Amino acid sequence: MRVIRLLLVDDEERFVETLGKRLTARGLYVEGTHSGEAALALLQARPFDVVLLDVRMPGMDGIQALREIKKVQPLVQVILLSGNASINTAVEGMRLGAADYLLKPAEIEEVMAKVEEAFEKKRLEEG
Amino acid sequence: MTRLLRKLFGLDQWRPVVARQDRRAALSLQYRLFKELITSNDEILELIADVEQKLQGDGLFGMTYVRSRCVNAATHAYRMIQTINKLSYRRYQELYGVFNGIRAGLEHHLDRGPHPIEAPAVYPLSEVDLRLAERVGTKSANLGELRNRAKLPVPDGFAISTDAFLALFQAGQLRDEIRAMEVGVELEDQESLAAASASIRGAILRAPLPEGLEAAILGAYLRMGERLKCTPRVSLRSSAVGEDTQTSFAGQYVSVLNVSNAEILGAYREVLAGLYTPRAIYYRAVNGILEEDVPMGVACVAMVDALASGVAASVDPGRPDSGALVINGSWGLGVGTVSGSVSPDFWEVGKGAEPRILSLRLGTKEIRVDPLPQGGVGPSPVEPALRERPCLEEGRVRELARLVMAAEEHYGAALELEWALDRLGRFQLLQCRPLRLSASRGSLRREAPEEVDGHPRLLTGAGASGGCRSGPVVVASSPEELGFFPEGGVLVARHSSPQFVKVMDRAAAVVTDVGGATGHMASLAREFGLPAVLDTQKATAVLRPGQVVTVDADHGAVYEGRVDGFLAGQAPGGIRRAIRGTPIYRVLQEAARLIVPLNLTDPRSPDFQPSSCRSLHDIARFIHEKAFEEMFRVSDQVADGEARTVRLEARLPFEVHLIDLGGGLAPSAQGGAVCAEEITSGPMRALLAGMTNPELRWWEPRGISVTGFVSVATESLFSPHHDLGQRRLGDRSYAIVADAYCNFSSRIGYHFAAVDAYCSDSLHRNYVSFRFKGGAADEERRARRCAFIAQVLSRLDFQVERQGDLVNGRLRKFGKEILLDRLDQVGRLIIATRQLDMRMGPGTSVDWHASAFLSGNYLFDPAIRPEGAGSEG
Repeated sequence: MRVIRLLLVDDEERFVETLGKRLTARGLYVEGTHSGEAALALLQARPFDVVLLDVRMPGMDGIQALREIKKVQPLVQVILLSGNASINTAVEGMRLGAADYLLKPAEIEEVMAKVEEAFEKKRLEEG
Repeated sequence: MTRLLRKLFGLDQWRPVVARQDRRAALSLQYRLFKELITSNDEILELIADVEQKLQGDGLFGMTYVRSRCVNAATHAYRMIQTINKLSYRRYQELYGVFNGIRAGLEHHLDRGPHPIEAPAVYPLSEVDLRLAERVGTKSANLGELRNRAKLPVPDGFAISTDAFLALFQAGQLRDEIRAMEVGVELEDQESLAAASASIRGAILRAPLPEGLEAAILGAYLRMGERLKCTPRVSLRSSAVGEDTQTSFAGQYVSVLNVSNAEILGAYREVLAGLYTPRAIYYRAVNGILEEDVPMGVACVAMVDALASGVAASVDPGRPDSGALVINGSWGLGVGTVSGSVSPDFWEVGKGAEPRILSLRLGTKEIRVDPLPQGGVGPSPVEPALRERPCLEEGRVRELARLVMAAEEHYGAALELEWALDRLGRFQLLQCRPLRLSASRGSLRREAPEEVDGHPRLLTGAGASGGCRSGPVVVASSPEELGFFPEGGVLVARHSSPQFVKVMDRAAAVVTDVGGATGHMASLAREFGLPAVLDTQKATAVLRPGQVVTVDADHGAVYEGRVDGFLAGQAPGGIRRAIRGTPIYRVLQEAARLIVPLNLTDPRSPDFQPSSCRSLHDIARFIHEKAFEEMFRVSDQVADGEARTVRLEARLPFEVHLIDLGGGLAPSAQGGAVCAEEITSGPMRALLAGMTNPELRWWEPRGISVTGFVSVATESLFSPHHDLGQRRLGDRSYAIVADAYCNFSSRIGYHFAAVDAYCSDSLHRNYVSFRFKGGAADEERRARRCAFIAQVLSRLDFQVERQGDLVNGRLRKFGKEILLDRLDQVGRLIIATRQLDMRMGPGTSVDWHASAFLSGNYLFDPAIRPEGAGSEG
């Protein structure tokens, strides 16, 4: 199985750094960025399998970013991350095609499991 | 889990390799959607079981827990709705509306939260009683109750509300600052915890108080001074919301004594900072409890410059039936008595209209603690003459006893009270809480005999948490194994790990090789009310997994087997059920009404439709049923020799409909029905062989003479006339098969049994997963049946997880032959278990039933003795 290419998007820089390190240690290829706009630019520059996307960010928020990402890269799997659990946000995210919705703080095992699941889904959808 | 199954399974193997590519691709897409739907259904069932368990009072949780469960359940339900609509070309759009109704209800409960925030407020104690407990916290509420409603002496003072805490917490950057510091903590690292604790406490001590709060506190203080006609010194104590939240899980509770007017705001912050001791941070992180879940009020009362102080209990905790109350006390403030650092005087007083002093044991009282002129308190030696004098005269003891009895009568419950005798010779009550009587037998340090009633002593160690319980040994050598920790197991580990907190509400007792009575493990064990024997040096070497032992923490010993004499009168202790009745529990309870109840039980009922769905469980149930229908519809559409749906001809108590995805049925099979011989799916054949095992004789009447436990209801259901042609309405099961795969699912009313298996020559892909939930019987019978299933599965080498009435067994990476054998057993289990809840009433033995089943006694005839087991009962 090839390496999962993950894009981690969160305005909290320390979070991106810490989680990025831990996911890299588990064999993922990880790039991190701190805004929805920057994430979109990166996704147009090179391919990713899974995006971990924070919902609450200044500027373009996670839901807006998700909408844009699905326009440019419909097959990339987006997992929404949120520190403030809201059913409405979760459902809106799923409606817009998010693969999953993850609550912060999440255990690293749970993050890994969701990422792997999303990657599997992408492989199947790509056929 | 299903994620894993899918991974092992490698769905891409269904990719078309032959012609009619688009048709098979269609089927493959449908199959992927189906698996997705099954995954979400499984996750919802797990969430429901977990919530049900929490509602029974098992374990602690915070608002984060409630939120995450609601959001996850809603997300999965929504995903199921999306998927079923993809699967059916949007046949079930109506579900979106139904879902939105439920989701609005859930949002409403979540928004309100356990503590609707009000303006921060400060209440004079004269306006406080228990009815205000949610605003001011338990400690302040009890003081007000004693003062205003029981009319007992309590110092003047005021209560700072929990809303003030929330306002402080939410104002400015404090919350974000604290979160950031907590995120960086390495929980396993004591230094990291200590550093985080120090910096968070620093941030709180520096944080400005919200405008208005400062004025309110100082105003309340000034008015108190006017009433007392002085500039009083005060003491501040934490006052959290919730009956039993005064345990350390919510924080280390702080009192700041002898505070002057200039320091009062600082002291308030200091009390709040007490929520951030290293252990409290650790505990909340592991349990997912946020500070907002345990908002802190503060009780501020006039400092009593005490001649003597102490603690009184309205019932003797050591001898609850003696009819005596007990008082201890020493010179000066009560700090030393409460913390245990001073040896106090001790009175036993017979309760009655005229209290009688039954005994007095003089303490040594070398040290006293008194208020210092500059503020704070300090210790000093007690004059030798005073050491030998009781700190209370006999008349005073009787006077205090009357106060204690009056308080007990007012509450109608056993109480523990802190008391002080002021310089004017008046008693003041400073704190009041319910007295928790433990069933523990006396001192922690007594000699453990080498043998008890023929049970040899296996280990000795430090008894770190009292009590005595018995159970099978579970050696936790890695955190991953904890997922399968059985209810009532004895946790045996080399040393403590933060992971253990997750199983402590299920464990019976704890034994470790290393560790002491002051460590994490010991304090956690005490919080969960678990007997713990630590520092045994060799527990992991001596104890064997599955071996039944008795852990006697009162004597610091572990014995072989079940020492019944020790276990008598041992109550399940601790805080397990303490969470009931707290505000957060009520939020979960309200939300659970929209998640847990299952109203749609009969697929043939006219009510089995979207508009009847009243909970997320209903939605999941409905969609799960329809998913099979849709799969059959799809496969009928593409049926041209590739995929087929057929009815199975077999003697079973339910009808089975099959879809073949490829290689699961013999090419010869034609038409609407197949017989067992035409099934070529390995796992399905094995399962079916088990279900149709002639020894099961499920069609035979179960007479009262045979079992002695069968209720009238079962009698009518399983009467001799009830045969092949007369199945219960709705008794329909589905199987989706391929050469090496089967998914079998059977739902009968409240029951749900599902098998998912892949058996090939490729060892690492192989698995069998068996899931069982429910049953209409009462909780006790259901629990016993689940315990029975869990035990059978685990004796068949399955890894078993139990959550409430959900049993989840899985077997991985075994050879094909073994898996096929286990599937045969699982088939038998599905049939033999159907009526079992009816007979598994109180007094029936789970062990006996498991042994009976495994030795082929499928009718559970008590006259037949299974090998290696005793008689039933």
